[in-house]
Amino acid sequence: MKRYILRRVALAIPTLFLVSVMVFALMRFMPGDVATRMVEGHAYAPTLQALRHDLGLDRPVHVQYLDWIGGIVLRGDFGKSYWTRQPILEEFVRRFPVTLELAFLTIVVSVVLGVLVGIVSAVRQDSVSDYVGRILAILALSIPYFGLAVLVVVLPSIWFKWTPVWSYVPFTTDPLENLKIMLVPAFVFGVTRAGPVMRIMRSALLDVLRQDYIRTAWSKGLAERPIILRHALKNAMIPVISLIGLQMPLYIGGSVIIESIFRLPGVGLFFFEALTRLDYPVVQSVNLIIAALVVGLNLLIDLSYAFLDPRIRY
Amino acid sequence: MLRRAVFSGFLLLLAALVAAGPALAQQPKRGGVLRIAEREAPGLDPHLSISFLTHSYVSLTYSQLVRFPYGPEQKSPSDFSIVPDLAEKWTVSKDGKTYTFSLRKGVLFHNKPPVNGREVTAEDVKYSLDRFISKSGFRDRFEPVQAIDVVDRHTVRITLKEPYAPFLNHLANPSFCAILPREAEEKFKDFNHPDAVIGTGPFVLKSYEKGVKVVFERNPAYFMKGLPYLDGAVIEITPDAAARLAVLRAGKAELPHIWGWISPEESRALKQTNPEMSVTPYQVIGQGFIYMRTDKPPFNDVRVRRAVALALDRKGWNDALLFGEGCLDAGPVPCALKDWKLDASKLDPAKAKYLTGHDPVEAKRLLAEAGLAKGFTMPIFHWPGYVLPWRSYYDLTAENLGKVGITVELKPEEYGKYISTTALGKYEGAAMGPSTPFTEVDDFLFARFYPELPTNQSHVADAELTKMLLAQRREMDPKKRKQIVDDIQRYLADKAYYVYVPQWPQYVAHPPYVKGFKHHDGFGLGMRLLYTWLDK
Repeated sequence: MKRYILRRVALAIPTLFLVSVMVFALMRFMPGDVATRMVEGHAYAPTLQALRHDLGLDRPVHVQYLDWIGGIVLRGDFGKSYWTRQPILEEFVRRFPVTLELAFLTIVVSVVLGVLVGIVSAVRQDSVSDYVGRILAILALSIPYFGLAVLVVVLPSIWFKWTPVWSYVPFTTDPLENLKIMLVPAFVFGVTRAGPVMRIMRSALLDVLRQDYIRTAWSKGLAERPIILRHALKNAMIPVISLIGLQMPLYIGGSVIIESIFRLPGVGLFFFEALTRLDYPVVQSVNLIIAALVVGLNLLIDLSYAFLDPRIRY
Repeated sequence: MLRRAVFSGFLLLLAALVAAGPALAQQPKRGGVLRIAEREAPGLDPHLSISFLTHSYVSLTYSQLVRFPYGPEQKSPSDFSIVPDLAEKWTVSKDGKTYTFSLRKGVLFHNKPPVNGREVTAEDVKYSLDRFISKSGFRDRFEPVQAIDVVDRHTVRITLKEPYAPFLNHLANPSFCAILPREAEEKFKDFNHPDAVIGTGPFVLKSYEKGVKVVFERNPAYFMKGLPYLDGAVIEITPDAAARLAVLRAGKAELPHIWGWISPEESRALKQTNPEMSVTPYQVIGQGFIYMRTDKPPFNDVRVRRAVALALDRKGWNDALLFGEGCLDAGPVPCALKDWKLDASKLDPAKAKYLTGHDPVEAKRLLAEAGLAKGFTMPIFHWPGYVLPWRSYYDLTAENLGKVGITVELKPEEYGKYISTTALGKYEGAAMGPSTPFTEVDDFLFARFYPELPTNQSHVADAELTKMLLAQRREMDPKKRKQIVDDIQRYLADKAYYVYVPQWPQYVAHPPYVKGFKHHDGFGLGMRLLYTWLDK
C-alpha cells in the first residue's frame, strides 16, 4: 500500500510538469497580447513597451517559464496577477473554500438524488417508478445547468419580485446565512449532475443484484433492506464513486457559470475572469493547483476502492 | 351656496397640497445606502487600468483638479463645461501654453493611514499628474505637457509644448487625472490595495471583499459642505447581466449597472414587470462603425467605400432592432456630443447621403464604376460578444452588402485577440465594432484619422484632413475651434473612411425612491452620487 502510494505520488510529478508546460504554452498561443488587452488600444508604442517591461513580458519565454515554475517549486510563490498585482495564492486560498463548499454540496445533492432514484429504479426494474426515475434522469441530463440557473434567478424576480441571489457570507461568519446562499446553486447544479449518477447507479446495482452472493443472501432468507443496503449497494457504489471522481473537473468548470450567476466569489470566477483578461500567471497557477488537486483526489478515489471492495489490494 | 363655497375651498386646498407635494418631496433627505449591482473592476489603481469599471469604482473616492458639472449643475448629460474641483480657479496664458491652477485651501485626504487626513498640496497634484504621464494607458492625452511645476503650496503651473485645446477636458475626465497621495504608493507599491485608496472625494472606501462587495461611506470632511446626501454606497459584485436585472426587480439593488444602464429591450421588459420603476432613455455618447483598410485595394477607392455606406439600410435597422429610437447620423462625431456635432441635415444632401442614406442601386453603380461589377468578397473581423444589437448588426451588414454584390465573410474573433490586434488596425480587409465613448471631440477626430496612430483603425492618411486635425487641436478659441471641427465634418461626409451604424439610447433604471441621480456622459460615478438621495 505504502509503495503504491509512493509510486503514484512519484508519477504525479511528471504529470504536473507536463500540465505546467502545456498551460504555459497554451496561454502564449492564445491570440492577443495581455499588455495591449490591458490598455485596450488606448496606448501608443512607448506605453506598451514600458508595460511589457513592467510585467516581465519582454524576457525570453523560457526565462518567464523558469521564473514562474522556479518560484512555485523553490519558494511556494505562485506569482502575482498582472491586473491587480496581488499574490495569486492569497486570492486562491480566499476563494477556494467557496468553490469547495459548492462542489461538496453539489455532490451531496447529486449523490443523494441519483443514488436514491437509482436504487428504486434498479430494485423495481421495469415498474412505473423505474420509468419515472429514468425519465427524470434523462430530463436532468438534458437540461443545461446554466440555463436552469438563469431561470431560477430570473423567473422568481419577475413573478414574485424575489430572487435567490444574496450577498455572499462565509460559512465561518454565519453558517445559516451561508447555507441559505449556497443551497439554491448547489441544488441547481446537483440536480443536473444527478442524472448520470442515477443511470450508473441503476445499471451497477442491477448487475450486482444478479451476482451469486446476492442470490445466496436471498436464499438464506435475509430481508430486502439488508441485502440491498448492506450487500449490494457497497459493491455497486464503485462505478458511482469513479464517476464522481471523473466529474470533479466538471464541478470546477461548471462553478464558473454558477458562481457568476449566483454571485459567489469562488475560484471558477477568478479563473474565468483571468482567462478573458489574458492574466497569464493567474491562469497558469490556478490551473496547476487544480491539476494537483485532481491528481490527489483521483489517488484518494483509487484508494477508496479497497475500502469498498476488500478483494482489491494495492 | 355656503356648502358649495366650502367644497370648492376644500378642492382648492387639496389642489394646492397636491401641487406642493412634489415640491416638498424634492427637499433632499440625508441618509441611506445605495446598492449597485455591477461586475468586478479589474483593479483599483486608476493609472494601471483603463477599465471604466476601475475608474467608476474609485471615482467615489478621488477628486481631480477640475471636473465636469453633475446633478443640478449640469445643463445636459453631455455638458462638458469645466468647473472647479480641487482647483478653485485657474488661468490660461494668452499663447495657450501655460495653465496656472490655484488649489482650494484646507482640503483633507481621507483619514486613513499612512496619509491620516493631511491637507492636499500642489506637490500632490504634481506627483499625481507625473504618475499619470509615466504609467497610464491614456498618457498620450498629455503628450503636449512639457513641465508641471509647484509654484507654492497651493499653486501648480502646467506648461505645454504647444497650445492644446482638449487639455482641460482631459483634466476633467474622471478616467484620467485623480489626485493621489504619494505616501500610499510608498506603503502599498501601487493604488490597487483597498487600503491604498485614499482620496479627497465624497466617499471613503471602507472595505472591499474580493468578489463580494465594495463598501463606501460618506466622507464627513468632504469639502463641499452638506454633501453627499447618502450615508454610503455599496457595489455588490454581480458578474451576470440577467442576475443584475433580477436583483433590481427583487429590490436587492438600486442600480442594475454602475451607471444604472439597461438596454432598450430590457427597459421594456422591466416596465412590464415593474411599472413603478423609473426608466429614462438617454442618447449617450456611443458610436460604432465598419472600418476598412483604406490604404489597400479595394477600399482605397472612395467609390467602393461609398458603395458600402449606401448599401446599409440604417432606417430599417433602427426600426427593426432599436424601436426606432436610434440615431442614424452617428459619425464622425457622435450624436450625443451636441456641442460639436454638425447634423447631417445641415450638410450638402449630395454628401450627407453617405452618412445616413440608403441607395442600393447607386451602390451597385459605384461598384461597377470601380471595376467591381461582379462584386467582391469582404472579410469582416469582429468580436461577437458586444451588447445585443451588435450580433444583429454583423448579420444585417452581411445581408445588406450581399444585396449590392459584396459577399461578406463574417470573421468572429475571441475578445483578447480582437481588442489587441484588429481593434488596433492589425487586420486585412474590414472589421466592425463599437468605439469607446470619449468626452473630447479630439478623440473621435484626431485619434481616428491622424496617420499612423493605432486608433486610426481605417489607416487613413489624408494630407488635407491631417492639417485640419492639427489646427482644431491648437485653436484655443472655442468658437473658432468649432468652425474647424465643422469643416472637418463637412470634409469627411462623403469620404466614407468609416461607415457608421445607428446608435441606440441607453435607459437608466432605478426604483422611484432614488432621487437626484442624473445621467452624465462623462464616465465616473462619484459625482453623480454626490447629489443622489433616497426618498424613503
